[in-house]
Amino acid sequence: MSGISKGGKKDTKMRIRAFPITMDEKYVNNIWALLKNAIQEIQKKNNSGLSFEELYRNAYTMVLHKHGEKLYTGLREVVTEHLINKVRVEVVDALRNNFLQVLNSAWNDHQTSMVMIRDILMYMDRVYVQQNNVENVYNLGLMIFRDQIIRFPLVHSHLRDTLLTMVAKERKGEVVDRGSVKNACKMLMILGIDSRSVYEEDFEKPFLIQSAEFYRLESEKFLAENSASVYIKKVEARILEEAERATHYLDKSTEEPIVKVLEDELIRKHMKTIVEMENSGVVHMLKNNKSEDLACMYKLFCRVPDGLRTMCDCISAYLREQGKALVTEDDNGTNAITFIQSLLDLKDRFDHFLHESFSNDRLFKQMISSDFEHFINLNPRSPEYLSLFIDDRLRKGVKGMSEQEIENVLDKSMVLFRFLQEKDVFERYYKQHLAKRLLLNKSVSDDSEKNMISKLKTECGCQFTSKLEGMFKDMTVSNTIMEEFKHHLQQSVTNLNGVELYVRVLTTGFWPFQSSLSKCNMPSAPNMAFEAFRRFYLGKHSGRQLSLQPQHGSADLHATFFGIKRANTGPMDLVDEGAASSSGKSLRRHIIQVSTYHMVILMLFNKKESWSYDEIKNETDIPERDLMRALQSLALGKITQRVLSKDPKTKDIEPDHMFTVNDQFTSKLFRVKIQSVATKGDTEPERNETRNKVDEDRKHEIEAAIVRIMKARKRLQHNVLVAEVTEQLKARFLPSPVVIKKRIEGLIEREYLSRTAEDRKIYTYVA
Amino acid sequence: MPPRKKRSSTAENEVDKPKKRLCSKKSADSSFSVKRCTTWFKTYCSAENDGSIGPDGMEKFCKDLGVEPENIVMLVLAYRMEAKHMGYFTLNEWLKGMTYLQCDSIEKLNRKFDVLNASLSDSVTFRNVYRFAFEFSLENGIRSLDKTTAIELMNLLLDGRWSLSKEFMQFLEQSKFKGMNKDQWYNVYEFSHHILPDLSNYDEDGAWPVLLDEFVEWHRQRSNKTSETGVDC
Repeated sequence: MSGISKGGKKDTKMRIRAFPITMDEKYVNNIWALLKNAIQEIQKKNNSGLSFEELYRNAYTMVLHKHGEKLYTGLREVVTEHLINKVRVEVVDALRNNFLQVLNSAWNDHQTSMVMIRDILMYMDRVYVQQNNVENVYNLGLMIFRDQIIRFPLVHSHLRDTLLTMVAKERKGEVVDRGSVKNACKMLMILGIDSRSVYEEDFEKPFLIQSAEFYRLESEKFLAENSASVYIKKVEARILEEAERATHYLDKSTEEPIVKVLEDELIRKHMKTIVEMENSGVVHMLKNNKSEDLACMYKLFCRVPDGLRTMCDCISAYLREQGKALVTEDDNGTNAITFIQSLLDLKDRFDHFLHESFSNDRLFKQMISSDFEHFINLNPRSPEYLSLFIDDRLRKGVKGMSEQEIENVLDKSMVLFRFLQEKDVFERYYKQHLAKRLLLNKSVSDDSEKNMISKLKTECGCQFTSKLEGMFKDMTVSNTIMEEFKHHLQQSVTNLNGVELYVRVLTTGFWPFQSSLSKCNMPSAPNMAFEAFRRFYLGKHSGRQLSLQPQHGSADLHATFFGIKRANTGPMDLVDEGAASSSGKSLRRHIIQVSTYHMVILMLFNKKESWSYDEIKNETDIPERDLMRALQSLALGKITQRVLSKDPKTKDIEPDHMFTVNDQFTSKLFRVKIQSVATKGDTEPERNETRNKVDEDRKHEIEAAIVRIMKARKRLQHNVLVAEVTEQLKARFLPSPVVIKKRIEGLIEREYLSRTAEDRKIYTYVA
Repeated sequence: MPPRKKRSSTAENEVDKPKKRLCSKKSADSSFSVKRCTTWFKTYCSAENDGSIGPDGMEKFCKDLGVEPENIVMLVLAYRMEAKHMGYFTLNEWLKGMTYLQCDSIEKLNRKFDVLNASLSDSVTFRNVYRFAFEFSLENGIRSLDKTTAIELMNLLLDGRWSLSKEFMQFLEQSKFKGMNKDQWYNVYEFSHHILPDLSNYDEDGAWPVLLDEFVEWHRQRSNKTSETGVDC
């Protein structure tokens, strides 16, 4: 009825008047009936015959005349009734038959009608709804749909089950109707109105639970059947699949939780199993250099907390085992070079993994470093070996390595150096080896040497290297002095009796030898030559003292061997002397390169033909140990080295054994070098000696540190002092708290420190 | 001011020129006199020791007193005198100690014995005496006590006052140390005073000298062994 009141005309007195304040009951009911009918038609999809304008006006009127509530309530009733009696029945009917499609179309229809209804009732939305804080029309429709359709028990469970079944099917590899699932999910999302709670409750939660169960079973199956690398690849594939599923037809926001579920079930719960799998786990991969597989595993394990740590621990155990095997002393005697080389190779191998498979991850880097530090220090001879290795590389004649190659090797050695705990032991050996190299002229190149020193300087500070640099300086200065000496000789026409002298002046304190107190008796010729030099040198530098170090020098001797004498062997021997001498080979001249001690011994034979061991000892004053060594190399070495003969021809040397020049000595070379019977690396007693010296030095260093710290701090508690000392010294070695305590006691006794009266645990510095 | 004379009985004739310092409050019979004291001193001293009491005099002194020279009372006495060398008392030291004790004769000193002994129960005094004993026993110019002397002296002082003293002596006997220095000596006392007999409150970080750390270890090992054998029985 379009009878809108012409209320304005009723009351002629007041012209401007709004609509009548009250409408009568009947009128309202009529309007409502109209609207109700319209709504129902809309819901039946018969909206074409309706007039939007009229309906809107009707609704407007109702609300205006304060009948919004009636309208609202009525609306709710109509919609509910429709959904229950019509829609739900349809949906339930279709439970076994096209359920999702039916549901979906019902949903679509509902949405459409609600839109239209909302449009009609827009005034109510704006005014009544706002004022009374109720849901707006559209949302109301959603809620009714939700409560009456979706949450209807039969529908609810069936919907859930259907969706889950479809997902499960697809996981098995079947093809499913993704579209309908997508629609259903969208619907659920919308039904949450401002939240995703409906979707979450009705679908996502059960979905996640089911997925967890599914993957739990699958993971066990996979693990039982497959190797680690295959398993990992399968896991990766599944993760991708689930992510894609979420994006495509579930709700995007599900991606994260489902991936998490996968990570949890497939990876986290089985981390250790995967990593430790026999014949295919991490250890196997490392052994067989499967960097790609490791990289896959790394990427996968990144996803779970503690994943990387699990991998890391396993790798660390393997690395430590390998390292430990390498550093354990070989019963047959350890070769320093192979020792270090094998460690370098191991490091290279793991650096390769670090780079290729673990993308330089810091956790792995630290693990490798700490493992190396652990096992390299298991063997107390590591510092010595490292020094020997570097020594070997810096010596002449190393199979033609280019400068660059040598540089690389040195850099890598420095890496190992950083891992050493007892750096002061290394320093001691390095000094010894460097001294030998310099004096025997054995380095490949000065540049490499200096390079090495600057690397050490960067690492340890200049205190470490100042003496080494001092040694180098001595060498250069010696060269200069020799030049001046030669000049001086020419000028003063001094005759050195045919001795060509080359002196190297070493500053005590830089070089690692104790000043030899043993003065061996020099033969006169070299002695005089040396005296000439001494006069020259002391003339230039008064106030200095020169002492000859016979254990480090060398000499070249002209030697004449008087031919092959036929020994008097027996009565049947018809010696043809003439034949022998006429061969012209009887006289042999050689230049022998020997050490100073050798020279002293050999020159004795200019005076007398044969000497006994005792006689040699008394005549030369060479210390017993060195004398033994020297005679061994002269008389008991390789055949091509036997310049002397010993009678009796046994391997040992007794005081009464006689030595003579071996006139039968032959050699293909004109210049013969007599090797010293020197062992590479220290012998047992020498090692103990070195160790003792190191300990002595350490005592002093600890005391110096204690005094330094106490002087600065004046008062310190015992524990703090010990900690500070350890901190200061750890770059060189690791002092034990007991040793530090002993040093503190020593200092207390010598009254550098004292305990405070109030607390015997606190020390003060005694000025 | 003339010294107040209480009921005096013996040795009254020895009262001499008034010395204000010497108000004898304690002495029941006669007051303390420096002169008497010095005279007493002279009965023991000998010229060969530069006017000090030497070992012989010491022996006589002890005999007069009725105590052995090793008695701890002698140590306390020396402490009061602030004597520098064991076996020797100079006049100054003598006077210092005797003045403190207000004794100028053997009888008076005898009576003071109990006081002297009792003073050791005060822990501060005991500690001081203990510490004093170390320096007192040192030989000239040497900074540490040799093993035997150390053990003897320590025994004298700590036996009966420290439950672990016997064990500690045993430990010292079998250990390789040759001399004990002042720090170690002092710390043994602190150890006996603070650490329980079962060593339960011994802390490794307690800045104890290494000697004591070794003792603890030795003692613990022994206890473990005895406890093991105990179980076997």
